[in-house]
Amino acid sequence: MSLIRNLLSGALALAIATGAGIAAGAAEEKLKIGFVYPSPVGDVGWAHELDEGRKKIVEAYGDKVEAVTAENIPEGPDAARIMNQMIADGAKMLMIGSFGYMNDGLKLAKQHPEVAFIHASGYKLAPNFGNFQTRNYESAYIGGIAAGSLTKSKVLGVVAAYPIPEVVGIINAFTLGAQKVAPDVTVKVVWLNSWFDPNKSQESARSLVAQNADVLFSLYQDTPEVVTLAEELGVYVLNTSSDMAKYAPKKYLMGMTIDWGPHFVAEVGKVLDGKFEGTAYWGGMKDGAVGVGSLTADVPAPAKALIDEAVAAMKAGTFHPLTGPVLDQDGAEKLAAGAVIADGDLLGINWLVKGVETRIPQ
Amino acid sequence: MTATLVFILSGMLAAATPMLFAALGESVAERSGVLNLSVEGMMATGAAFAFAVATLSGSHTLGFLAGGTAAALLSLVFAALVLVFHANQVAAGLAIGVLGLGVSAFAGNRFEGAAIAKPPSLDIPGLSDLPVVGPILFSHDAMVYLGILLVPVVALVFTRTKLGLSIRAVGENPEAARAIGTPVLGIRLGCVLFGGFMAGLGGAHLSIAYTALWAEGLVAGRGWIAVALVVFGSWLPFRIALGAYVFGAISLMELSVQGLGLAIPSQLLSASPYIVTILVLAAISRDQTRLRLTRPLSLGKPFRGQA
Repeated sequence: MSLIRNLLSGALALAIATGAGIAAGAAEEKLKIGFVYPSPVGDVGWAHELDEGRKKIVEAYGDKVEAVTAENIPEGPDAARIMNQMIADGAKMLMIGSFGYMNDGLKLAKQHPEVAFIHASGYKLAPNFGNFQTRNYESAYIGGIAAGSLTKSKVLGVVAAYPIPEVVGIINAFTLGAQKVAPDVTVKVVWLNSWFDPNKSQESARSLVAQNADVLFSLYQDTPEVVTLAEELGVYVLNTSSDMAKYAPKKYLMGMTIDWGPHFVAEVGKVLDGKFEGTAYWGGMKDGAVGVGSLTADVPAPAKALIDEAVAAMKAGTFHPLTGPVLDQDGAEKLAAGAVIADGDLLGINWLVKGVETRIPQ
Repeated sequence: MTATLVFILSGMLAAATPMLFAALGESVAERSGVLNLSVEGMMATGAAFAFAVATLSGSHTLGFLAGGTAAALLSLVFAALVLVFHANQVAAGLAIGVLGLGVSAFAGNRFEGAAIAKPPSLDIPGLSDLPVVGPILFSHDAMVYLGILLVPVVALVFTRTKLGLSIRAVGENPEAARAIGTPVLGIRLGCVLFGGFMAGLGGAHLSIAYTALWAEGLVAGRGWIAVALVVFGSWLPFRIALGAYVFGAISLMELSVQGLGLAIPSQLLSASPYIVTILVLAAISRDQTRLRLTRPLSLGKPFRGQA
């Protein structure tokens, strides 16, 4: 009996304590922001970059905000439960960091119109539900120029997860960049058909090097296994999401970096001002969302000049990597000379440019 | 073309090693009559602890020992459940497997995404420099060779030693084994611990030698493949090894074929290692009489007699 009594009094004390907590919170009117990440926050990778965005928010607003995080949350019922919990605990804004959180998040957004949602890499919108992506194809184009300027075998290898439009667009921009300095370059791709299998991506990288590739592109591999392997095998390597230079001190070509800070800070500002509205954000170099990290000093001067020029043009918004004339793998003209691909077409792109050897699996 | 072939054949031995260790260990546990389905979780636990210890101590040997020991400790929990409390082996195995994944995530948390130096390959002067043969046979780390060596050792123990005979007797008919004085639970405990240790070594090979990196979920289903290899290899070490190496070779061939730009859907290629391994092992194990002789009759059944 005494156990039950203890439990009861404990629960009562807890209730009073939480009640007091809420009252205190209301007095200070801190904006509580919940962050949900699909993978653990490591030193590098997708969740790490999202978490860097969170730090920028805290830096910018200090005591006005309170950030709570949940990492390694699988898409599906678990994510829905965590989001619900965060709202129940008083969160007025949620950053949900994975494509598969979209439908659960949208449902919650409709139930809680007072809560602002921003969703990574999705496409659905509601008055209180916005999404955000980056134009990674811009930095991929720069990576292509760097890779093309350093390849001797004229074979570039890409380790990619799934042939989704975003990945296809990145491979296209990468290839076009490489062709700018090495017109006869060939790009080979291995599709892993898995979002996460570090052993397999390393095996894929080995197989590409065995087929003469002397630059590797680790595309949406969250972990640095391809980068460490490239250093071991002595081939150049570039990768998405994070700067992984420390994993390949000698052979690091560059990192296609992402900075969510400017967007996150702006959105939180709108929530604080009560002016939040769900928008589709597609940030590029112009917005400071996409960048080039740790570009190797090995790039020869003419290529370096091209890179500087392209970066400046993309920052100014005067250049798009997918500008015609562009031919697809079968030689059909997809973009006429001078034509720029429309955002809508790029979001659904399902063809690879001439020079890529591997086909998109149908 | 030669480069691709060398890549497949030399990669095959290393790629198969984690599964080979885990499957050999599991086969020993199963031949004593205990079905341990927690291999995936034990490999993950072994991988995490091996990475942590190897990173902190700088010694790969210590890493391998830590990985094996951590997984063996996990299998001890499993053994307590099924041998002492007669829990259902399938349910207990699945539960301990999930526990193992959790333990690995916890132990590896502060190393997420970190890399580590690979152990040195045992190069043999002269032989390792031979074209084609050198990289295929003489350029691997010690664990790859240990895995190859363990195949005949396990086979010899089963066919030529009293211990092997006792394990098989316990797996066939524990009551009869008990009647002639064999310590049934002791043998089963030993076999489960051995299976755990081997699964831990397999996981450790993944995290500190093969990929040389820690990331949660690194094992990515290889433990389940090991369990399947045991059954399809009809509990015989040489067949299990064959299955592991065929699986390793086809999974690497799949990636090479993609790079060559052949118009085969990559999804079909991704499934090919599973299909080919099942076909090969089903073909060599089609002799039903032989299969009935090797399948441990008491597999999955608790022993309630006095130990």
